[in-house]
Amino acid sequence: MKIDRANLASAIEEGMAQGFDYLVKITAVDNIASLQVLYFVRNIAQNKDELLEVDIPYSDAWVPTVTKYYAAADWYEREMAEMFGVDIRGRHVRRLLLEKWDGVEAPLRKSFGWGSPTYKSEE
Amino acid sequence: MITRINVGPIHPGTHGVLRLLVDVDGDTIKKVEPHIGFLHRGVEKLVENRMYLQNPVYMEKLDYIAPLAFDELYVSAVEAAMGIPVKERAQYIRLIQLELQRIASHLLWLGTLANDVGQLFTIFMWAFSDRDKVLRLLEESAGTRMFYVNQRMGGLIRDQPPDFAEHAAPLLDYLDQRIAQFQEVLEKNPIFTERMKGVGVLNREDAIRFGVTGPTLRGSGVDYDTRSNQPYYVYKKLNFSPQTRGEGDAFARYKVRMLEMKESIKLVRNALKSMPEGDALGMQIRLINPVPKNRVVTVSRETPRGEGMMYMVADPQRPYRLSIRSPSFINLSVLNHIAKGHRFADLFAILASLDPVMADVDR
Amino acid sequence: MLTGNPLDMLGQALQSGNLTTSVIAVIAYAILIAIIIGVFDYLFGWFERKVIARVQLRHGPTYVGKYGILQNLADLIKLLAKENVIPANADRIFFMTMMPSLLALSIFIVFLIPFSPTLQATNLGLGVLVIFTLLSFAPSMIFLAGHSTGNKFADISAQRSVIMLISYELPLILVLVAVAVMANGFNLSNIVNAQSPWYFIILMPLGFVIFFITMLAEMERPPFDIREADSELIAGWFTDYSSPYYALGLFLDYTRMLLGSLLISVIFLGGWLGPAILPPVAWLLIKAVVVAFFIVIVRVTTVRMRLNNLLRFGWIYLLPLSLINLVITYIVFIKGP
Repeated sequence: MKIDRANLASAIEEGMAQGFDYLVKITAVDNIASLQVLYFVRNIAQNKDELLEVDIPYSDAWVPTVTKYYAAADWYEREMAEMFGVDIRGRHVRRLLLEKWDGVEAPLRKSFGWGSPTYKSEE
Repeated sequence: MITRINVGPIHPGTHGVLRLLVDVDGDTIKKVEPHIGFLHRGVEKLVENRMYLQNPVYMEKLDYIAPLAFDELYVSAVEAAMGIPVKERAQYIRLIQLELQRIASHLLWLGTLANDVGQLFTIFMWAFSDRDKVLRLLEESAGTRMFYVNQRMGGLIRDQPPDFAEHAAPLLDYLDQRIAQFQEVLEKNPIFTERMKGVGVLNREDAIRFGVTGPTLRGSGVDYDTRSNQPYYVYKKLNFSPQTRGEGDAFARYKVRMLEMKESIKLVRNALKSMPEGDALGMQIRLINPVPKNRVVTVSRETPRGEGMMYMVADPQRPYRLSIRSPSFINLSVLNHIAKGHRFADLFAILASLDPVMADVDR
Repeated sequence: MLTGNPLDMLGQALQSGNLTTSVIAVIAYAILIAIIIGVFDYLFGWFERKVIARVQLRHGPTYVGKYGILQNLADLIKLLAKENVIPANADRIFFMTMMPSLLALSIFIVFLIPFSPTLQATNLGLGVLVIFTLLSFAPSMIFLAGHSTGNKFADISAQRSVIMLISYELPLILVLVAVAVMANGFNLSNIVNAQSPWYFIILMPLGFVIFFITMLAEMERPPFDIREADSELIAGWFTDYSSPYYALGLFLDYTRMLLGSLLISVIFLGGWLGPAILPPVAWLLIKAVVVAFFIVIVRVTTVRMRLNNLLRFGWIYLLPLSLINLVITYIVFIKGP
C-alpha cells in the first residue's frame, strides 16, 4: 500500500485500530530516483500482513518516527537512519546503532560502493 | 550510587561480540544499553554485487549456529522471485534438514544457558556431544557438518542417501531420551528453577509491542509460529503444532525451546515416514533463468531464533536490494525492558534465554 | 626416649613438654604440614580437573607427564613466567599483601587442625572457635583484596563477599554449638574422641548437611561460588590479579578446599579414627580426599545460586534447621537416656 509521508502517522494509527499491532520490519530501498521506506506491519490475531511504502526524495530524506506506536521501531529506525541516511524526526534517542565507523555515510545507498560515481579507491 | 559496568565484548557470558553498558545500583540493574556492530560485515550490501548463486555462502554466515535456516530462506526468496516450484521430495528433505538444524541450534543454546547460570561446562559438553551427533546426521543428509550450501533453486544439490531413515531413527530415539535427561537435571534442581522463574518477564502486550519473535514471542503466550501461520513446505501435512507458554519469563522461554526440540523430533519422524520417492535435485547452475526485473518478493521462515524474513527486489542477475529481518536483532532490543530492576546475576540468565547470535544481529 | 617411625617420634616430641624439643618439633611439624598442603593442593588441582573432565565427557590433561599429572606444574611455570601487572588505579599495598596473607591464614588454620592423637601443634581448649574465628576473617580480607584492585567486577565481587558472610555464618556456628554439646567442649581432640563408637554424621545427619552446605559457601565452591561467578564477573575478586598472584589465588583455592575437607572430616567423620591397619593420619587424609571428591561432584552438577537466594536460603532454611538440630541434639543426647 503506497502512502504519502504526511499521511504516515494517520495511516499507522488507522492500522493500529484495525489490529495491526505488530511491527515486523522497517527498511528502505534506494530506487536511484528516490528513497522508499517500507513498514511491514502485521495483525497477529487475524494473521494478516500489510506493507506500507513511503516514497521520499533524496534532497529531503526524512520520515516521522513511529516509536510512539511500535516499541520495535526503535532499533529499526536507528539502523535505517545509519544505513540510508534517512533522518527520523521526533525521536528521543539520537544515537545511531552501529556507530558510523570510518566516517562512512549511508552505506546502503546506491551511491556508495563499487561502480558508483562517488566511489573512491583506497589509494 | 549508580555504577556503569562494561560487560563484554570479550568475556562475561558474552554471546559472541555483544557489548553491554549496564548501570547498576548496588546489585540492581537500572539500565542496559546494548552496543552492537562489532561483527557488521555489510552483508546486505555485499549481496547486491554478487550473482544469485554466489550469495548462499554469505547467508549461511548470518546465523552461524543455524546456517541452514538462512541458506534455505534466501534460496526460497530467489525461488519465489524466479517462480520456480520446489519438488515435493525436496520439500520433505528440506524440512528434515531444517528441523535437525533447529535441534542442533537449540542444543547449543541449552549449553550456553547452563553456562550462563553458572553450571560451568557440564551441560554444555553434554549438549555439544549430542549436537555433534545431530550434525553428523546432517552431514549424511547435506554433505558437510557446518556450512552446507546444499540448497539449489527448486530442490537440493543432492538427494538423501537411501539408508538415511535407518540411521536417523535410533538417533531420534536417543535424542528423545537425552532431552528428558536434560530436563531432569535442570528442572529438578531448585536452584535452576529459582534462577529462571519470574526473571525477565515479558508480558503478552509488550511482546507484541516490542516485536519479538520465535520462542521469545511464544514464551509470552502469543501463538504465532511462521510454520503454522504462514505454512510452507509440508508442515501442515505433518501435524505441526506450535509450542506456547504463557508466563513470559526466562523459564517459559527455556520450556518453549525444550518443547520445540521434541516437536522437531516428531516432525522429522513423520516426514521420514511419509516421504515420497522421486527426484529432489534442484536446477543445474547453467539452466537457472534470469529473474524478471523489479520483481519484489517477501519470504518468511521460522528459523530457530524466530521469524526470519527476506524482502528482495530482484534484478536479472543479482539482487537489487535484499533486506534481511534477523530475529536475534529484534529479540536483543527488548533486553533493556525486561532486565531492568533485576539482579546483576539475572542479566545473564535473561540474555541466555533470548538466545541472540551476534553475527545475525549485526549482519 | 623417642621410639617408632618418624611420625610417631614427631608426635612424641610435640607432646613431650620439654621446651627445646617442642620448639624443634613444632618447626618440623610446620614443615610437614607445608609439604602436605603443597602435595595435596597439587593433587587436588589435578584430581579436580580429571574428575570434571570425566563427567563432561572429556579426557582432561593427558599430555604433560603420565595421565597429565605434571600439567599443573607446567601451568604454574607458565604463570610465573608472565609479567606481573598491577593496575594503575589499584591500592598497591592491599593489592600486594592481601593474597599472600589470605594464603598464610589458610595455611595457619590447617596447622591448627589435629592430624592424629599426637600429631598436633597445640591442643587448644577452644580449638573449633579459634579456627572458625580465623576463617571468618577471610571474607573481609577478600573484600579488601577485591576492592583494592579498582576493578568494577572485583568491586561487585567484594560486596557479594560481605553479604555472603552474613548469610551462612550463623547456621555454621549453631551447628558447631550442637557439636560442642555432643563432645562436651570445643576442643578438637575431644570432638574426635567423642565420635569413637558412632561418628557425628550418623548421630547428627541434619547437622552434617547444614555443615557441609555452609562449608561449601565458606570455601566458595559451587553452587556458592557467587563471588567468583565465572560467567558474570570474569573471575570475581581476583580478576585483576595476574601471574604470581593468580598462581597464589589458585593455590589459595585448593588450600581452602583441603581445609574444608579436613574440617568436615575432623568434626563429622571421626577424624583420624579408623581400623589400625593404617596410621591415624592416613585415615584423616583419606577421609579428606573422599570429601573433596564429593565437593567436586557437587561443583560439576549444580548451577550457581543467586546472591539474594543465598541470603534467603541461609536465613529461612539453614538457620531454623540448625536451631532444630541443636534442640534435637540437646533433648536426645543430654536429657535422653
